[in-house]
Amino acid sequence: MTFSLFLSLIGIGWLMIYTVGYGESYQKGINDFLLHTEVGKQTIWIGICLVVFFFIFIIDRKFWQTFAYPIYGVSLLLLVVVLFFGKEIKGATSWFVFGGFSFQPSELAKFATNIAMAAYLSSYSTNLKQFRYQLVSVGLLAAPLMLILLQPDAGSALVFLSFFIVLFREGFPLNYFIFGLSGVTLLLLGFLFEVPILVAWLIALGMLPFLLNKEKKQYWLLGWAVLISGSWYFFQEKYQLAILGLLAAAWLALAIMHLLKKDARLVILIFGGVALSSLLVFASGFAFNNILKPHQQDRINVWLNPSKCDPQGSLYNVLQSKMAIGSGGLNGKGFLRGSLTKGNFVPEQSTDFIFCTIGEEQGFIGSAAIIGLFLLLLLRIITIAERQRSGFSRAFAYGVAGILFIHVFINIGMTMGLMPIIGIPLPFISKGGSSLFGFTILLSLLLKLDQHRYQL
Amino acid sequence: MTTIRNEVLYRLYFVVAMMVIAAVVIFAKAVQISVLEGDYWREKSIDKYVQFRKLEADRGNILSSNGSLLATSLPFFDVAFDPNSSGMLESDFNKYIDSLSYCLADFVDPSFTPGAYRDFLIQKRQEGAQYVPIKKNVTFEQMKLIRQFPLFSMGQFKGGLIVMPKFRRERPFGLLAHRTIGYVREGITPVGLEGSFNQLLAGEDGQQLMMRVGDDIWKPIEDLAKIEPKSGQDVLTTIDIDIQDVTEEALYRAVDRHRAQYGVAIVMEVETGAIRAISNIGRTPEGNLWETYNYAVGSATEPGSTFKLATMLALLETGHVDLDDSIDIEQGRTKFYNDEMVDAYPHKLDSTSVQHIFEMSSNVGMAKLVQKYFGDTHKEEKFIEYLKQFNLHLKTGIEIEGEAAPYVKDAFDAKNGWSGTTLPWMATGYEVMLTPLQILNFYNAVANDGTLMKPYLVSETREYGNTLERFPPTVIKRKIASSRAIKKAQFLLEQVVLNGTAKKLKTDKYNFAGKTGTAQVNYKRLNDKTHVGGYQASFVGYFPAEKPKYSCVVLISEPKEFGIYGGEVALPVFREIADQIFATKLELQEPLNAKPAEPLVRSQLPDYNIGDRKEMEYLLKTFGIKYMSTEESPLVLLRAESDTLSLLPYTISKKRIPSVVGMGLRDALFVLENLGLRVEIGSGCGRVIQQSIKPGTPVRGQTVYLRLG
Repeated sequence: MTFSLFLSLIGIGWLMIYTVGYGESYQKGINDFLLHTEVGKQTIWIGICLVVFFFIFIIDRKFWQTFAYPIYGVSLLLLVVVLFFGKEIKGATSWFVFGGFSFQPSELAKFATNIAMAAYLSSYSTNLKQFRYQLVSVGLLAAPLMLILLQPDAGSALVFLSFFIVLFREGFPLNYFIFGLSGVTLLLLGFLFEVPILVAWLIALGMLPFLLNKEKKQYWLLGWAVLISGSWYFFQEKYQLAILGLLAAAWLALAIMHLLKKDARLVILIFGGVALSSLLVFASGFAFNNILKPHQQDRINVWLNPSKCDPQGSLYNVLQSKMAIGSGGLNGKGFLRGSLTKGNFVPEQSTDFIFCTIGEEQGFIGSAAIIGLFLLLLLRIITIAERQRSGFSRAFAYGVAGILFIHVFINIGMTMGLMPIIGIPLPFISKGGSSLFGFTILLSLLLKLDQHRYQL
Repeated sequence: MTTIRNEVLYRLYFVVAMMVIAAVVIFAKAVQISVLEGDYWREKSIDKYVQFRKLEADRGNILSSNGSLLATSLPFFDVAFDPNSSGMLESDFNKYIDSLSYCLADFVDPSFTPGAYRDFLIQKRQEGAQYVPIKKNVTFEQMKLIRQFPLFSMGQFKGGLIVMPKFRRERPFGLLAHRTIGYVREGITPVGLEGSFNQLLAGEDGQQLMMRVGDDIWKPIEDLAKIEPKSGQDVLTTIDIDIQDVTEEALYRAVDRHRAQYGVAIVMEVETGAIRAISNIGRTPEGNLWETYNYAVGSATEPGSTFKLATMLALLETGHVDLDDSIDIEQGRTKFYNDEMVDAYPHKLDSTSVQHIFEMSSNVGMAKLVQKYFGDTHKEEKFIEYLKQFNLHLKTGIEIEGEAAPYVKDAFDAKNGWSGTTLPWMATGYEVMLTPLQILNFYNAVANDGTLMKPYLVSETREYGNTLERFPPTVIKRKIASSRAIKKAQFLLEQVVLNGTAKKLKTDKYNFAGKTGTAQVNYKRLNDKTHVGGYQASFVGYFPAEKPKYSCVVLISEPKEFGIYGGEVALPVFREIADQIFATKLELQEPLNAKPAEPLVRSQLPDYNIGDRKEMEYLLKTFGIKYMSTEESPLVLLRAESDTLSLLPYTISKKRIPSVVGMGLRDALFVLENLGLRVEIGSGCGRVIQQSIKPGTPVRGQTVYLRLG
């Protein structure tokens, strides 16, 4: 079943690449077709990948676990080498080019990191409750991530965060996730809103624990609500500081009242939390305006603040992409009839934005089918993961699921404006040999491991 | 153990839930974009960026009967360059940009230097432009040239050359037969042949995906889904461009001279019904002369006296009327009930023959004849039946749209105002309406010995020069009346020209036959007299009378100067047309030398030419001249004796000077200089007529002077 899902996704991808490049050059004979059209190259890659699939099934499953670290080492080495000898394409030095074909070592790094992570987590000595092991496991994913950021290819780097899903499943302490997610949330809020408003909200939230400790909390809470609404109402440019001061004063008063009755632990915790959060919020606003480059600011704005963006400028890609998907409607325009994707209106329409082609030509039904296929594949992988007896296999399977999930979610999300535009391909479907290759070995090894699921 | 297990399960559920939620969110977004906002995006995208656009088909030509172009579509091209074409290689661009710029600056826009052009194109490429206009409205030849430029020769995908064809309708003969050729324009009812044959001419438009690159500028996208347009077919008309020209010219002058409202002239081939010329000269609201309306086909009017032929044919068909019957015509003034009828030309005749009535076009006479033979109530119907026998109540069925129906009242049809005076007035061409084409078609049938043809304008449709469909002449009715009646009618029409209302314009050069008409228009029949708003002068006839080849109607409505009568206003136009046709159409002339060609005599044959045998034989064969040849020899002498030509061998002695008289200079030089003689050429050109040294003199390296002539 997994294999048929794999094949059908690859098949759909081939058809979509075919339609995007559809034109006169298809009629010039088989050699030209294979070597000089995008879909031709993709055909060759598909062939290669099927062979690879076969080979992975031949190779003993223990090979990977045994040689996980050397492979990981080689992939890191490649990531270093590519920085010096790689070809720069679209601003990132992330490609090796030989002949007409190019290869992205970061795709290999995903696989290598996955087996290394699985090997590490499944080793008997590893205990994720201990800080030492936590540090190493995070380091395993952080090393390739950092190297890829140097290229710089933020999209591919981001993918390595998906290993947190493996870590999560394997018992990485929850607190880290809570802190992490809160941090990310605050960062995003910091991008979105102005610092004083956020600080005011933080202070207001900081009051709550004190109030909830009062005896007649309902009255206190009512008072709090009135105060918040009033502040909200009057919160304008000229009263900002005054209101902020007022809230802070009220908060301080509450804290002191609390101190008079009880110990200082809660006060310290809350003050610390609010202070740290405020700092983070402030830092995020500052980072947004001073550290991020304009095009990065644009991307975040396009994602979170589309109304502020220039439709002909930064918003263009997303608009075109939405337009392509939207114009497909329910049934789509039909195979080879997608006018926007053909007219080069959608950027990267055979790689990162290939989902538009599906949306335009196959309509909502096609998009829904693709989403359904991927969901099915993901759930299938999780199922496979959970039935493994070997820790290595399970961790590896989760890694595959995580990588796939983040690719699919971000890629499809970005074509519809749900996610920031991060250049990562749609697994199996997007054009590109190294990505197809990377996903193929991930999936084929998964199936190979699953074949031996009853063995340790 | 259980808590760990539970925690693992929760974590698992969390992961699964996260994935499902993500899928649901994406799914919901897809619903939003594709389904809920689908129309919005669709409209936005279709209107603004990419759509399947029409590729105009090459409209077919309209040809005259001899193949001249009456209307044609000339292709023009807008040429542009897409410096960022998806198939263009950086290396190709860099390699060819210099030579391309040089070509462009040289051929297309000399105001640019090659360097400036190069910088311009490179700048456009860097800007990401996808459409750089190169030149608009280039001809096919220019386009072919531009297509060979470096880079451009690689096509649209790799070379970025964008060629958009468009067509312009051209009429090589200007306004000739303007209304009949017609036009098809958006928002206007199609007119003429262009309209009637629009389906064939238009071909089938193709379509291609195009992308908007500027205000109403669309760039084709390379695409196999493109549907090539199918060129329209050509329509070969029956129009004879010479006759049309003469007709239009004569009519125009007449309408102008008489300050008439409009004029119509049609020339038809008697035997086939093919329309050789059709012209309408009307007036624009400003009063200028222009082909404003196809009166010939679309406008039915009361024909007046020209209708008398129908009346007379009906009378003759009864068999009771003969040409020398006498009839009382009351000095050209009589009354039917309360309505008075007068003859157009005043006279004091009390009675005269039927033939004379027709010649002089007496209204009273015709009316009384009809009253006499059809006046009884039970016979009135018979008259109408005769008219229907002549097909006068039916449209001719010509191909172009908008033919007006003739108006012939049914007997006793009170709704249409049938009254006691209807019959006498019908006899003189009132209370009945016909278009000029319909009346001509009737006369044409009389000229054609009673065979009624369908008038037609299109004889063939063609595609790429091959005939697709032929439209042969169509007989509508083999015989509209008995041969006896037709012969008499023909005789009467000839007499009109010889002795009647048309006699002033008879000619010695040929005989023609016809009938004048002077109808009142915008009249009010009052008790005491008729108030007349204007006249319609017409002449319908055919020529040559003995063996009719062409029939022709000329109708001029509301002439205001230099006469009102058909004989004064319309007939001269008819004569002018007929004269010109006679002068130009050789088949109408009696051959001057209707004898077998005389044999060529010696004086007409080329004599005493010397030359190369092969050349000589080729020449003679090419012109089909018979000759006799005896022995083989490289040089021959052409001799003419009585009526035969013979090629005699001609040999040149090496020791004695030959005769080169009769040779071309080239041959003479060849012969003489080969003998080691020097040649000086005197005056003249052509063949050698004299040489300074006599033939037979021994060769000693002398100088020979030649005279040419």
